[in-house]
Amino acid sequence: MNIMELKNVGYAYENKRKVLKGVNLSIEEGKMYAILGPSGCGKTTLLSLMGGLDSPSNGQILYDGQDIEKAGLSAHRKNNVAFIFQSYNLIDYLTPKENVALTSKLPPQPILERVGLTEEESKRNVLKLSGGQQQRVAIARALASDAKVILADEPTGSLDEDTAAEITAILKECAHQMNKCVVIVTHSNELAKQADVIFRLKKGDLQVTTN
Amino acid sequence: MNLGTRAILYTVRKWKKTLLIFCLLLSITILVLSGLAIADAQEKQVEELRGTTGTNFTVNRNTATGGWGNGGNGSYSTQEYLTSDMMEKIAAVDGIEGYNASIRTILCLSDANGQWLEQLEPTGHSMVDCQFYSYSCINSEYHSLFLSGALEMCDGEMLDLSFDNGIIISKEIADKHGLHVGDTIQAVNDPFSNDKTKELKIVGLFEVVADKTDERNNYNEASYYDYANNAFVSETTMKALLENYEDVGYASADFFVSDPEQLEGIIQQVQKITSINWNNFIITANDEVYERVSNSISDTGTLVTTLIVLTTVVSMVLIILILSMSTRSRKKEIGILLAVGITKPAVILQYVIEVLLIAVVAFPLAFLSSKQVAGMFGTLFNKTAENVIVTPQHFALVAIWGAVLLITAVLVSCIPAMRLKPKEILSQME
Repeated sequence: MNIMELKNVGYAYENKRKVLKGVNLSIEEGKMYAILGPSGCGKTTLLSLMGGLDSPSNGQILYDGQDIEKAGLSAHRKNNVAFIFQSYNLIDYLTPKENVALTSKLPPQPILERVGLTEEESKRNVLKLSGGQQQRVAIARALASDAKVILADEPTGSLDEDTAAEITAILKECAHQMNKCVVIVTHSNELAKQADVIFRLKKGDLQVTTN
Repeated sequence: MNLGTRAILYTVRKWKKTLLIFCLLLSITILVLSGLAIADAQEKQVEELRGTTGTNFTVNRNTATGGWGNGGNGSYSTQEYLTSDMMEKIAAVDGIEGYNASIRTILCLSDANGQWLEQLEPTGHSMVDCQFYSYSCINSEYHSLFLSGALEMCDGEMLDLSFDNGIIISKEIADKHGLHVGDTIQAVNDPFSNDKTKELKIVGLFEVVADKTDERNNYNEASYYDYANNAFVSETTMKALLENYEDVGYASADFFVSDPEQLEGIIQQVQKITSINWNNFIITANDEVYERVSNSISDTGTLVTTLIVLTTVVSMVLIILILSMSTRSRKKEIGILLAVGITKPAVILQYVIEVLLIAVVAFPLAFLSSKQVAGMFGTLFNKTAENVIVTPQHFALVAIWGAVLLITAVLVSCIPAMRLKPKEILSQME
């Protein structure tokens, strides 16, 4: 069953340049999706619209059949989706445990351990963690929110190959074993190959490929 | 995690920023509290001044509206004189504390042995040098020369109607002749006529405070007009000394008003006394001393108020700048918090709580510190340290308004970030 649907969604920047034209897609729980496309084609914009960080110029975005604008974008971000960013975006004065507790509807420590952080690492200042560890914290924060949809914008973009592979594996586990719907914007063909469905964006139009 | 917990964690973990804002708040609050205490001391001083300085007005014969006569000594005004009855009616007006009227003449003074006294700078002519410009006094305390501060008593007491044969002379004349309070001297109006010579007891000595810029005092010491060569005698004494002359009344009288703010109103009341023909008299307000001192105090008051306002405005600007810089540096945090579903009001409220957490420590500490330093600041404004007191009311005022200003500062500093959509913030971060 579709957890989210985009119907004829378009977006134009303030200078009137249209980056998305009539995008239609739907996503389900338990699957991992990859969004591919050249730089500047609107991948991050599409993810932002799905996550309620901005509003489309036209069209509708439905979550569980309900328009997210009517439900409230803030509530949508709090309850329905969780973000993972390329630059991790952790709060620097909070520990990993406290960062996870920001969104936490679930106890933070078991989730941190599930993504591979020890108790000692969970109490450190986040800036003292490696890139890979910080991204694990970001994933743990997303999982702790218990949101059904996880939106990841270039989650492995700042990581080395091995760490990137570990993170990809965790995201795949989130989708297939935890029944989350994981949507990843990526330039990495390696990561895209691991996705169940690939969305290709080109000149504002979307093509869907199923793996 | 709730916003209160985030606020506490930020305040504690970003202790350098916290310390900066704390020190700023502490110093500003100490300055403002001290300023308020000084302003209060200022107000108290003004009230005391009103009570202690007082002011006075003089009722003079209006020679312009009277006629003129000719006599052996030339022409003279035939204008009506003030009588004791008139003066008592005037003195009965509410707010008038006392009055004095004087008969003026030149008395020749001698010591107990009949040896003429000399002016400060004698000319060598004993019958000139023994002349002293003398005033009779109903109450010398209210004589214009004492009220204006030109003369000040330095020994003994003032003359009033209870004294029969009293005299007050200058300390300079007393020192010159080895005289003291309690000694006896003699006085006569015209030694070449059959005017009576009376024995007078020195009841007081005065010092001349007025300098030579005083229009009366610019006579040199060889003149009986010079203040040091003046004398004051009791009224009964003067009447006895002038028994050979017609008692015409008083050319002028000085009325003392204890509250200078009431002067104008009191003069208006006096002018309503219908039994006195006010065409024949002029009333002159003599509030130069009060005006001079109160202007000086008022200037200080204006300065203190200006400083308080300036300090508050400048500190407000400074705090907004610092908070704006701090909020700018926390744009990433704002973006993250919005991305995880925390609302903008919640983010702003967290920042408000952070600042208030600092204020909750800074304000009471400033109150305690200002109690110690306010007195020191007060001395810069000519206040004695003991009179400059920081009260709990000052603290309450500063705490309430300080909190309001801080919240406003936080809101203003958050405007640039909060106007952006979460996507815009995150894009800027990327």
